[in-house]
Amino acid sequence: MVLQPVDPALVEFDVLTDEMLVNMGPQHPSTHGVLRLVLRTDGEIVSEVRPHVGYLHRCAEKIGENVSPRQWIPYTDRMDYLAGMNMNLGWALTVEKLLGQDVSEKASTIRVLMAELGRIASHLVAAGTYGLDLGSFTPFMYCFREREKILDLYEWVCGARLTYSYITVGGVMADLPPGWLEKCEQFLDEFEPVIAELHAVLTNNAIFIRRCAGIGVLTAAMALDYGCTGPVLRASAVDWDLRRDGESRYTDLYKDYQYDVIAPTAEGRYPHGENYPPVPAEAVVGDSWHRFFVRMLEVVQSMRILRQAIARYRLLSGPVGEPVKLLQKLPVGEAYLETEAPKGQMGFMVIGNGTAIPWRARARSSCYCHLSVLPELCRGSMVADVPAVVGSLDIVLGEVDR
Amino acid sequence: METAAINWHSFFFLLFALVACTFAVAMLLSSNIVRMAFYLVISLGAVSGLFFLAGADFVGALQLMIYVGGTVVVLIFGVMLTARAPFLRMRTGVAQWALAAIVGGCLLAVLLQAALSVDEWAPPSMVGENPPVSNTYTAAPLGLGVLGVRVDQLDEEDATLRNGMSGYLLPFEIVSIHLLVVLIGAAYLARTKRRPKEPTGDRQETVEPMISSGK
Amino acid sequence: MAEYLASYFDSQWHWVAYALVGLVQAGLLLALILTGAAVFIWMERKIAGRIQDRLGPSRVGGRFGWLQSLADGIKLIAKEDIVPAAADGLLFRIAPYISFMAAFSVFLAIPLADGWVALRMNVAVFFILAVAGLEVLGVVLAGYASGSKWSLFGAMREAAQVVSYEVPLGLCVVVPVMVVGSMDLVEIGRAQSGWFWQWLIFHDPFTFITFWVFFTCALASVNRLPFDMPEAESELVAGFMTEYSGFRWSVFFMAEYTSMFAVSCLAAILFFGGWNGPIPLATMIGLTPDNGALTEWLGNLLGMMNLIAKGFFGVTVMIWTRWSLPRLRIDQVLTTCLKYCIPLAAAMFLGAMLWLYAFPGGVVSRFVQTSPVGGTPTPVAVVDGKGGV
Repeated sequence: MVLQPVDPALVEFDVLTDEMLVNMGPQHPSTHGVLRLVLRTDGEIVSEVRPHVGYLHRCAEKIGENVSPRQWIPYTDRMDYLAGMNMNLGWALTVEKLLGQDVSEKASTIRVLMAELGRIASHLVAAGTYGLDLGSFTPFMYCFREREKILDLYEWVCGARLTYSYITVGGVMADLPPGWLEKCEQFLDEFEPVIAELHAVLTNNAIFIRRCAGIGVLTAAMALDYGCTGPVLRASAVDWDLRRDGESRYTDLYKDYQYDVIAPTAEGRYPHGENYPPVPAEAVVGDSWHRFFVRMLEVVQSMRILRQAIARYRLLSGPVGEPVKLLQKLPVGEAYLETEAPKGQMGFMVIGNGTAIPWRARARSSCYCHLSVLPELCRGSMVADVPAVVGSLDIVLGEVDR
Repeated sequence: METAAINWHSFFFLLFALVACTFAVAMLLSSNIVRMAFYLVISLGAVSGLFFLAGADFVGALQLMIYVGGTVVVLIFGVMLTARAPFLRMRTGVAQWALAAIVGGCLLAVLLQAALSVDEWAPPSMVGENPPVSNTYTAAPLGLGVLGVRVDQLDEEDATLRNGMSGYLLPFEIVSIHLLVVLIGAAYLARTKRRPKEPTGDRQETVEPMISSGK
Repeated sequence: MAEYLASYFDSQWHWVAYALVGLVQAGLLLALILTGAAVFIWMERKIAGRIQDRLGPSRVGGRFGWLQSLADGIKLIAKEDIVPAAADGLLFRIAPYISFMAAFSVFLAIPLADGWVALRMNVAVFFILAVAGLEVLGVVLAGYASGSKWSLFGAMREAAQVVSYEVPLGLCVVVPVMVVGSMDLVEIGRAQSGWFWQWLIFHDPFTFITFWVFFTCALASVNRLPFDMPEAESELVAGFMTEYSGFRWSVFFMAEYTSMFAVSCLAAILFFGGWNGPIPLATMIGLTPDNGALTEWLGNLLGMMNLIAKGFFGVTVMIWTRWSLPRLRIDQVLTTCLKYCIPLAAAMFLGAMLWLYAFPGGVVSRFVQTSPVGGTPTPVAVVDGKGGV
């Protein structure tokens, strides 16, 4: 139920209540980072939301003009820090595009493994913190328990839980340790029943549906106008996924894998949706519930890809390949590549000028565009809906501010 | 003094009375409107304490529920929603003080005179014994009286008088309808009135799936 | 007890006896409540931990963290006393105590066993409703006096919520009162003595449903999830309690647990037999008033343990709900009240009334000659002006 005044320009003038300028953040339990939202409210109805960003700006792009591409990999980790592997992958692919470098098939398979695990990890955080924003404390714990297993896998592979710097220009830093694949399969087996639990506690919970369904409806036209990508775009019934529709350098990674792109039709039905939990009647295509549901279903698809990647890796043999030199000279030219990161399309651009240090390194953040559509979505809603919408957009400030 | 006994009934009566009067005066003397409302709450709560002391549990609970719980909460709500700078610090002029003192003083004199002239209300002599407490009437006779059966007058000897006491059903109904009218009127008066201004530009609401395929 | 103690004194010093006894009784009640609050806080953290697949406090005071509440209490008392600069000093300082007083005063009227009640009133139910509604005053003052918009928001929501839910709460409470015919909680408890099918919740289907509506309204009136918008952590940090820290915050906290326990005990007395256990163990083994004062006392002690166990169970269910469900938005909270709870409560009231009219002695007695349930009043006779119906 969304309280919309007939026209926000109508003035209600009988009760002389003050319009309040309320400040949410930058220290706030549910702004997903150091985000400052200034809300103009009249009682409970929000008439304007103005986000203030920049609290986490660390001049990453400027630093990119002073270090070589391989040395910039750790800075990409810290952008979307919940999906560091995907950030590494984006930058590595971009620089490889500029260099014209190809990586071994083994390294590509490992990259797919890491990227899809990162997608699951990121969506788990999104789901858990979304429940937390709405007052449901328990699924947060369940999601993070499962995420711990993924972080253990990551730590085994590269030594770090959160800032990996594992996928690098030219391949990966090291091959998978023996036994890693079995551990990964074990995680996948243990994770399946947890998804059903999460559906029961969140997706089909009557109170959760009341808080999300119909809230923050993003139409497809608006989504495309504002540059929304990823699950946010797909939940508005736009069937677009860079793993299938993107550049060949990126889609080659996902060639020959069987998976579905999760996007509802304009009527709100999901293709291949016989086994999915039912879509509630109150949910509107493009609302917060659909964004949440798309993420939950993408996790299942990622698990499918992971199993196929594990099978494929087992058939491969040979070395994984070496990354390029640390101070590899970049040719003169520029390259831009967007990849399907868990939160949206993450784009990286590199301009080389013949030396090892790029002339320009640029990161295009998906969450930045999602944050820009937030004022549109929240206009006319209630104060309690603002965290619901922010949570459904799945914003991480590291990526927004870089 | 003959005995060092403290009569707890008198002690608590004096305590509650003192609290009620002090906070009533404090409410008069305060200039912050929210504090005034708060002092009123305490004063009315003390009055309900006086009711409990007199053995009238029902009336005491009613006082708490209606005055303290209802009226003052509404008061505080109204004050907080509409409190603006000029009302937060209320200055009462000297002329208003004088007028209020005169009117209040006259009323006090009249009430005191009336109260002190009732013989039964004069304080009883206390010789180390607690004064008798009145019988506590239950709420049941009250409820039945409202429904039309005056059960507290069942042992009235005069037959004609007994037949004539039909209870409070008619006043109860009148008051209920009156309250209903008041509620409807209040809801109507408090409805949201809208005055349209010029719209600030259009917003696209149509859904057009535009997919730019290929890259 | 007062007369017993007074007999030791000269007539001049009787007042000392009365004062002492008053203090002791007040102290005992306070001790019960505060210990209960400490236990509930520990229970909440343990249950929350277990539901979330972790342990909860497990270091302070042994493997189960028994002394965690004590340690927290000491920490809170020792914290710095912060009053925000924009706060209204007097109101800010007083508000927690008002809430606590209101929550605590409810226990004046709740009987812990047959006849064991601090203040025996024949309008006990009404008194409880009146006093429970005073808690909102403390909250509203806290929100306003904190001088912060967020706190004001939380206070407004809370006041709207509590005041709205008083209506269906009152309607639900009237149903057992109607079945038993008295507002005196001791009478209501006595009417349910015997086996567990004498409990009012099993009296007719309407009282059964009324209990669930009552429980929902009780959850709303003590601001527990799913109705804890006023304290919503993710939106308002802590709502009206944002500016409170240290001892004052712990007073608010205790007020919340006290009212949870009070409302659970009230539900136990109204619907679940109060101090009567599921099987009449006390009468079976002879702990009745007929056998002497000591056995009566022991029987009552057993009853008190029964009631406290039921209250604990109610609080546990409240804790369980809190950690399992998301939170409702404030307009959804009020919609639930106005569109669902009130019509349902009114319908149950009507249904219970019709049931009593159709089966005045209880369903069983229509078909089997046994003693009827409780003292359901017929409209005219058996009324006297003094001792109750």
